[in-house]
Amino acid sequence: MTRFILRRLFTALITLIISSFLVCMLIHLIPGDPVAMMMAQNSSPTPEQLAAMRHMLGLDLPLWQQYFHYVGRLLTGDMGRSIFGSEPVGKLLLERLPNTFALAFAGLAIAIGFGMPLGFFAAYKKGSWADSALMAFAVAGVSVPNFWLGLMLVLLFSMTLGWLPVAGEDWRSMILPAVTLGVTYMAIIARMTRSAMIEVFSEDFIRTARAKGLPESIVMFRHALRPAMISVVTIIGVVFGYLMGGAVVVENVFSWNGLGRLAIQAINYRDYPLIQGFILLFATIIVVMSVLLDIAYAWLDPRISVQ
Amino acid sequence: MPVATDLLDIQDLTVTFGGGSSRVTALHGVSFDLRKGETLALVGESGSGKSLTALSIMGLLPPEGHVAGGRVMLGSEDLLTQSRRDLVRTRGSRVSMVFQEPMTSLNPVLTVGRQLTEGLEFHRGATRAAAKARALDLLKLVGLTQPERRMRQYPHQLSGGMRQRVMIAMALACEPDLIIADEPTTALDVSIQAQIIDLMLDIKERLGTAILLITHDLGVVAEMADRIAVLYAGHVIEIAESLTLFDTPRHPYTEGLLAAVPRLDVLVAGTTARVRLAELPGSVPSPADRTNGCPFTPRCPIATARCAAEMPPMTPLDAAHSVACWERAP
Repeated sequence: MTRFILRRLFTALITLIISSFLVCMLIHLIPGDPVAMMMAQNSSPTPEQLAAMRHMLGLDLPLWQQYFHYVGRLLTGDMGRSIFGSEPVGKLLLERLPNTFALAFAGLAIAIGFGMPLGFFAAYKKGSWADSALMAFAVAGVSVPNFWLGLMLVLLFSMTLGWLPVAGEDWRSMILPAVTLGVTYMAIIARMTRSAMIEVFSEDFIRTARAKGLPESIVMFRHALRPAMISVVTIIGVVFGYLMGGAVVVENVFSWNGLGRLAIQAINYRDYPLIQGFILLFATIIVVMSVLLDIAYAWLDPRISVQ
Repeated sequence: MPVATDLLDIQDLTVTFGGGSSRVTALHGVSFDLRKGETLALVGESGSGKSLTALSIMGLLPPEGHVAGGRVMLGSEDLLTQSRRDLVRTRGSRVSMVFQEPMTSLNPVLTVGRQLTEGLEFHRGATRAAAKARALDLLKLVGLTQPERRMRQYPHQLSGGMRQRVMIAMALACEPDLIIADEPTTALDVSIQAQIIDLMLDIKERLGTAILLITHDLGVVAEMADRIAVLYAGHVIEIAESLTLFDTPRHPYTEGLLAAVPRLDVLVAGTTARVRLAELPGSVPSPADRTNGCPFTPRCPIATARCAAEMPPMTPLDAAHSVACWERAP
């Protein structure tokens, strides 16, 4: 198990190195002169000002030196300064991080907390009207774009019924964005759980468990659930990536003061250091999450962890 | 078999699949009995209904399968009319099952120990410690070395033969009266097959457990079975004691089946040439196109018009030998 974790951490490190390289080179992928475009927002800069900015951003150095400077600064926790507001990027991101985490994990909790039991139930009642209804609901959940769902929820629960606030900072204002975010991924997880459970139900070892005379509850929870979880856990890793992306959209719909809103602002203002920092942070979060899920996967499946 | 009492008595078991116009009958009134401590082999080609018979006894038919009639008496209880709760109590405790494929029949994410102890905890109300001690004894009984280590291992860490030994240990856990072994050696290497057969013979000897052996392998049958029931297209067509059946089969299908077993000891008369392996022409009819007659008619060398029209009943030739054939037992 330790070896498995170490190996997994090593590949995660490589992923992060590649991400940091791509992020560092991002600025060169932008068509035209990024510095001119950044500065053109305010006034027409003089060539001296442009050169000074280029020097400040280190863009006048050879590419490999730029990368090593970039990584060197990253390792000391310096992600550069925002062009607008000139605050450290790290500080700006860290301020917003808890809000986004709260939203993403609330969404994930809804997605898993409802998606898995619903999928489990649908599989157990396969072919019944309840199964058909749940799966129709799941298709709807996957198909509906989350910005539209968010607006509809606001219309119903905030405007018409007046139960929940449209926007704000407290837990009550988190309910609607978390539900919006959760529903899509709940549908994906419900469908995955259902098909994984149905597959496991047809396995020989389930027949063995029944032949042993175990009650259906033990057959379900001890024998079927864990093998089914293995494939569901892999999906949760993918879902989490989408969920973080979805959070960017949902935060903007609900004016939730998280990273997503910051990112959209940064993009609007072409605040490249901030965009770079945002992408790198998201990449790191997703890499860390996928390492944690792989460890969970290995824990669930002894065929991986026991060598 | 002197003064043996019936353990299992199956009468007229009929199983259908599907519903409405697509309904087909897979078992046509199968009847046989099994005495305490006896090994009865249920022999037939794939699709003859051997495994279905076993699954019906266990109440484990797939959802499309339906018992349309008959009785499965275990002692004085009819397993077919038992409540679900009682059936769960019977399974694993009084009747248990060893499946064909030990790789997929054990749960890959539970340790061998857990899979052995859970039945004991549920059926016998054993404590963890007691169940563990019993599980260790069982692993020793089925001839596994280092039982403590095996307890902690997962199925994928064991070889095929070891897994089948674990399956057998699991089946024995609650000291059942009857073990149904569905092709217990088919998925194993030949050398391992012999070991598993020896193990099952040894267990039968030591514990007196009755075995319903389901197989198409007549070699296994010859080594293990006291009696043999031959199944063809969902009908029992001949039952006899092993030796009788091998020496004097009466049903033309049984004859064909035995003639199709490769033998190295029989030579063509007056030469040193080996006899060419016989084959049964044709194949088992699909359950969907059955007639009222004997299903073997199209392949039968001695069939008459009556065979095609009417299914012959099981007719006793002597106390231990019955056959369903108009020509051989009119």
